[in-house]
Amino acid sequence: MSWRTVAVIAAMVALPLLVRPALAAEIWIFAIFGLGCNLLLGYTGLLSFGQSTFFGSAAYAAGWLLKHYGVNVFVALAAGTGVGALSALAVGYLCVQRSGIYFIMLTFALNQLFYFVAYQWTSVTGGEDGMPGIPRPAMLGIDFSSPIAYYVFVSLLFLVSFWVMKRVVESPLGKILQAIRENETRAEAVGYDVARFKLLAFVVAGAFSGLAGVLYAMLFGIVPLEAIGFVFSGNVVFATLIGGSGSLYGPIIGSVVFIWLSESVSTVWARWPLLLGVAFVIVVLFFRGGVVEAWSRFLAWRFSRQRT
Amino acid sequence: MTLLAGQILNGIATGMLYALMGLGLALIAGILNIPNFAHGALFAVGAYLTVSAINAVGNFWIALVVAPLGVAVLGLVIEYAGIRRLYAAGHDYQLLFTFGLSLILAETIILIWGPVGISQLPPPILRGGIDLGFTFYPKYRLFVMVAAGLLVTATWLFLEKTRYGAIMRAGIENKEMVSLLGIDIHRMFTVAFALGAWLAGIAGALTAPIRGLSPGMGVDMLGIAFVVVALGGMGNVLGAIAAGLLIGVAQAVVAAYWTEASVAVIYLVMAAVLVVRPQGLFGIR
Amino acid sequence: MSQQKRRDILKIGALAVTGLGFPAILRAQSKDIVILGLWDQTGAYADVGPLNDRGMRMALEERDMKVLGKPIKYITRDGATQAGVSTRRAEEAIDEGARFMIGPWSSGVALAVSEVAKRRKVLHLFSGGTEDISGARCHRYSFQWAASPYTAAKTVVDNFMKANPGAKRWHLLIADYAFGWSLEKYIKEVGKDHGLEFVGADRHPLGEREFSNYVQKAAANRPDVVAMVNFGADAVGAARETFNFGLTPKVPLIMTWSSGVEELIQLAPEIRENLWVGSNFYYTADTTVAKRFAASYQAKFKTPPGYAPSSAYSMTRMLLAGFDKAKSDDTQAVIRALETLQINDVVGPMHVDGATHQTLRPYFFLRCKPKAAMKHELDLADIVATGDTPLPKEYASCKDIGGF
Repeated sequence: MSWRTVAVIAAMVALPLLVRPALAAEIWIFAIFGLGCNLLLGYTGLLSFGQSTFFGSAAYAAGWLLKHYGVNVFVALAAGTGVGALSALAVGYLCVQRSGIYFIMLTFALNQLFYFVAYQWTSVTGGEDGMPGIPRPAMLGIDFSSPIAYYVFVSLLFLVSFWVMKRVVESPLGKILQAIRENETRAEAVGYDVARFKLLAFVVAGAFSGLAGVLYAMLFGIVPLEAIGFVFSGNVVFATLIGGSGSLYGPIIGSVVFIWLSESVSTVWARWPLLLGVAFVIVVLFFRGGVVEAWSRFLAWRFSRQRT
Repeated sequence: MTLLAGQILNGIATGMLYALMGLGLALIAGILNIPNFAHGALFAVGAYLTVSAINAVGNFWIALVVAPLGVAVLGLVIEYAGIRRLYAAGHDYQLLFTFGLSLILAETIILIWGPVGISQLPPPILRGGIDLGFTFYPKYRLFVMVAAGLLVTATWLFLEKTRYGAIMRAGIENKEMVSLLGIDIHRMFTVAFALGAWLAGIAGALTAPIRGLSPGMGVDMLGIAFVVVALGGMGNVLGAIAAGLLIGVAQAVVAAYWTEASVAVIYLVMAAVLVVRPQGLFGIR
Repeated sequence: MSQQKRRDILKIGALAVTGLGFPAILRAQSKDIVILGLWDQTGAYADVGPLNDRGMRMALEERDMKVLGKPIKYITRDGATQAGVSTRRAEEAIDEGARFMIGPWSSGVALAVSEVAKRRKVLHLFSGGTEDISGARCHRYSFQWAASPYTAAKTVVDNFMKANPGAKRWHLLIADYAFGWSLEKYIKEVGKDHGLEFVGADRHPLGEREFSNYVQKAAANRPDVVAMVNFGADAVGAARETFNFGLTPKVPLIMTWSSGVEELIQLAPEIRENLWVGSNFYYTADTTVAKRFAASYQAKFKTPPGYAPSSAYSMTRMLLAGFDKAKSDDTQAVIRALETLQINDVVGPMHVDGATHQTLRPYFFLRCKPKAAMKHELDLADIVATGDTPLPKEYASCKDIGGF
């Protein structure tokens, strides 16, 4: 087990001691969401600005099942992951033929479409009020109503997701996706059906987003409309970029930084989005690899200093 | 029937405004090839500067000239200080940067002008309306329709009929070639961004008396601008006009029969067109 | 690892832990009474949050931040006008000891927060546009300060018709959400008694920016009056367009559920001519408490108080009166005290319907002044009448408020 994995587990243990368990759970949920986003962004080179489509759809679907059919946790998770993957299949199918700014705009537009459907379909989604009253059923005799119990559940699921994503990116599929990111034309020329692989990446990312969505719904007991809105889509992209899209750890760091910081700073200054904007600008101009790259640069500098 | 005619006129008027909103973004996306998420914020700055200018000078027309220039200067600064370094950086960072800018600008607006919305009346000469027979229509909206039309035409003329415009169009098609021909491509980018910012600024200035001002006004406009660019094609002036008119009229007609859907219809049209024709109505590719 | 490095890490670690949200440090002393004001500082209602905070703070400061001899700890959290954020921050505050919550501003978010109140057994006061808090989603812990939409509809329609008996053709413009539909329903009900003809009723999405299409439709129906059921930026935008299209001031415009000052100052005086406004409060209300409050608010902040700070002020006073009456800060005792509370407040005499937790109080109907009649910039309107007819039993959806 590498020291990095140890660090992640240490973080999982330490986090609920530093912040409320519910906030810590939210951080890991967002990290799962980020893993999905990063498969597209960091590994395939696809900037999808509509990830909340899958997150939100899964949250609504699972929420509906939990609330009206009293399904158990397994069914809810499976349903959410499935809905996330399916919606990603639909959206991806429409989007993978395009590239560049058109791709970004199309993912954004489809996200808006899903948003407005959710907005209007008040009988199902509750529209602007959201879908409240989502239960958190017990599983295998374990009662999840305590924040700590749910936190343990979420963080374990994160570990599983992380392991799965690690396997995905280290597999031949992962290599092909990275090849597509590096040079799409060449990948096509070598014989890979680029569009199909991009679609596959979408579906996997959608599944992860869907899982995150279900956990989110159960965490708050409500699916708010913003869960399928463009702000959520933007947040996961930004958090991933800030953490560093070049590795699997980027989404973790990005999630911790983004959620923890925005929570703390917002209680101090109402105009905290200004600081967030400044942070984005600074990251882009000076720390383009995100925290992960800044850290390796820092280590390299330290190492070179020790040598002299 | 007269209701429909009135709605269509309104759709054309709002459509021209949408076209103007989208045109600046179309140019920036086409020439610089970056997703400018700060475009809505520039629009908002244009509107707020106009109001301050009117309060300072007491004259709408002077403000209409001065405020967009202020936004153009802001655009120059942004391009010089930030965007310039990001042309090779990839869309994700350009997006993050411009989005960060939009947050900074929106929050600065709140810090300077406060979070409460502001109303701005049209200049006295353009208040009230005209009875056109089939509908009673505000003079100011007619003015905006004409002004937007003139601005869009002027931009088109600049791109089509002037030498520098031809260079810009070539830059939209093929940047490498243009710079190989010895033209200072970076100067062109700066001009293009400033021009795009100016168009956003004047769109904001014109819109202020119609939609009023609020710090979040840029966000709504950004969505519309994206739709116009996606439909009309990047860097395409005629495409922007057609796209703007299409969504303006669609919105007006839908509002006549199914009011609840009038906001969603814009995105529905965009998604429908893009699925069938990914490059938009007039895009090249 | 070197000594220095170890020290550095410990220093940074300590800073991080203390600086950023370590809950234990923020936990109030056990004798403090912790009250949460859930006010939006970002998002769609960013302009209202600071105003709410002012009103609440003024009410608490009137008591020197003490009640029942115990100190009051007043904490505020930004709900960001989002259900997810608001519920999260409410839970956080409850973990920090808050047992009493007031806010938020948005009615949709308030419903979500109300669920938190029920689950965590925390007293919750809210003022805003939803029937459900005292209706379909009523429960023992939440209270609705704003008047029932029925009261609003009755006050507005009855008094408008008194002043304009010939205006029989009404066109309605309604924000498309549950509260809009409720108010629409009641206006039509009350309208029956006046023989009104509803020539049109259009629903627009919340947050609509382009009202020109709706105004044209309204104009085409040739109404005698246009009545709107919308709020905030929507109401301001719609009023502006109605004026731009020349519909007003010829045709009167009614803002049925307005926040009064906050919306009116966003409109130019020309737009306000022939504008009639229904509101939960207006600062020239002729009650002792209102006069005192308006005077001190104006002295402090240089503008008269609108609905936002006034409702926060009044709800806080209600809560404090509850403490006084119960002679205890036990949540359930205070709730029982509120259920039979009668108080003279900014709106006048107010009491709570124990079965639904709906406050019964006057609703205000105003007529805006034309520019020439305004004595000063903020002399926006005159109160024409008030009304306090409660919701008839047959419409009440709160069948059983439940237990603790």
